[in-house]
Amino acid sequence: MSAPPRILLVEDTPAQAELAKALLRDAGVEIRHAETAGQALADALAHPPDAILLDLELPDFSGFELMRKLRAEGVEAAVIVVTANASVNTAVEAMRQGAVDFIVKPYAKARLTVTLTNALEKRALTQELKTVRAQLSRDRFYGFIGASAPMQAIYRTIESVAASRASVFITGESGTGKELAAEAVHKASPRAAKPFVALNCGAIPRDLLESEVFGHVKGAFTGATDNRIGAARQADGGTLFLDEIGEMPLEMQVKLLRFVQTGSFQPVGASRTEKVDVRFVCATNRDPLAEVEAGRFREDLYYRLYVVPLELPPLRARDADAVLIARALLTQASREEGKRFRGFAPEAERAILAYAWPGNVRQLQNVVRNVVVLHEGEQVTAAMLPPMLLRAAPRAPAGAAPAEAPAVAPVVVPVVVPVAAPVAVPGSMAPVAEVQLALPAPAPPVLAPPVAAPPVEAALPPPAVSVELPPPPVVVEPLAVMEKRLILAALAETAQDVSRAAALLQINPSTVYRKLQQWKAAGELL
Amino acid sequence: MPVLDPDIAGQLAEDLPREDFLRIIRTFQTDLARLTQELVGAAQRGDIRAFQQAAHSLAGASAAVGATRLEAAARLGMAGAQPPSPALAAQIGTEAEAALAALAALTA
Repeated sequence: MSAPPRILLVEDTPAQAELAKALLRDAGVEIRHAETAGQALADALAHPPDAILLDLELPDFSGFELMRKLRAEGVEAAVIVVTANASVNTAVEAMRQGAVDFIVKPYAKARLTVTLTNALEKRALTQELKTVRAQLSRDRFYGFIGASAPMQAIYRTIESVAASRASVFITGESGTGKELAAEAVHKASPRAAKPFVALNCGAIPRDLLESEVFGHVKGAFTGATDNRIGAARQADGGTLFLDEIGEMPLEMQVKLLRFVQTGSFQPVGASRTEKVDVRFVCATNRDPLAEVEAGRFREDLYYRLYVVPLELPPLRARDADAVLIARALLTQASREEGKRFRGFAPEAERAILAYAWPGNVRQLQNVVRNVVVLHEGEQVTAAMLPPMLLRAAPRAPAGAAPAEAPAVAPVVVPVVVPVAAPVAVPGSMAPVAEVQLALPAPAPPVLAPPVAAPPVEAALPPPAVSVELPPPPVVVEPLAVMEKRLILAALAETAQDVSRAAALLQINPSTVYRKLQQWKAAGELL
Repeated sequence: MPVLDPDIAGQLAEDLPREDFLRIIRTFQTDLARLTQELVGAAQRGDIRAFQQAAHSLAGASAAVGATRLEAAARLGMAGAQPPSPALAAQIGTEAEAALAALAALTA
């Protein structure tokens, strides 16, 4: 039940004040009474009223003056002017000053209550409209940056579901902010003061996953030298976020299902079950239903966890959010790197907007960081952006695959090689040599970190060399074949360094390891 | 013009529980005593602003209980920049006594 509307009665004549209070006694409102304008101002600030019944002739200053002061202080109550002076001028002035209605003394009970009820209803509608407008125009929400309509829908869903205990299943492309969404669900919930425990099911070796989730007792297996609390116990009272849930082995899914159903689990090697109060949030960048149909994800677990779906839109479907995010990232990166960048040039913002961002926010983050690290100035110009952004075709419609997402698209990966010391080269004052290599790259090209340059001979040609080979003909092959080829190419490019290869591909190292295991098991690798 | 407007006073008696109605009349009596004193004092000092303020309050209070003749007299004192008239103050005093008597009869 909501609190009764608060009415501030501003009336210096006791008989009038008594009369108004008596007439409103059974109106279901809470009345406070001020005899002077000064007292009314102080009261309105201390106890913001929903409506003010205002006598114009007050001992210290006029009711009109009080209305101006209230407005200046941000008091948004509905003001009803009550006066013994029934002149048209007074009424006009009252409305001009923002009064919602006007009552002439003496008034009957019905006149007062109807006027007050109307004013309160109007104010409630105005407040509701204001709230809705504010919600529709939010550009930040628990770590998210974005004002687009798809993100407003995400914010509203998170707010709606936060208070519940229902499991949330987050889907979305890589880099769309699934963990951020999980944290937002937690922070907006009554569990916010309790732990948020995130576990990446794809990054943990399958043999260790059960112990990571449920913990183990000393001696449970070789190497279990002590009792260890798992994520389930750590998250007691809070939220357990299971990222990349689609990577969870089937045998572990059975145990998770029991835990989800009963809230009970058994640490590895323990003889007793433990019970906790945990809210589940899961995420995957796969289509969970397709995983169920393919037999890789248990249907019963799917239905237990897929209670409130939350599908995060890709950056290309988020209107102008890419620019909003880029600005925020630029501020942050500039601060962290000690640079002076304050914003983007209009053509740079147009390029950011036009690009499809197949790697989503994570890719945008990398690009902004790279620009900040490699350049100086107050404004990021289009020339500072990676070439792929400048060549980008207009964005595909929302929901369509990103223009550069297919791995077959040849993409120029700029490798920027800073020279150890500026070298006087005829025709060039640039201290940085830029070499662009045309390589078939996975969707989001990564700018390689600066590496030490070889010694530069004075006889070398000018250092700014740009070699861009024509794109090779595209041969469409099964995605799995392309995926394998790309991963192996990245490994070859990085001398079999899985972490660097994964960084080049903008995927998790665990995915590379998993794929290698799969191919080995299938005899597809030597 | 009657001392009390039967519509207003009757409406009040109808709208409000008797206890509330009596309290308002008592409050009005207290208001009258204070405001007529202020009027007389302002008239004696020639304080136009104080006279008009007291007249305004008196007009509002008397209108609230339907004391129409007293309200009309008080309204005369609300407007104009003329020096406050002791005669008007005396007239207001007379109308106040008549209004109190009529209200006493109504609540008896």
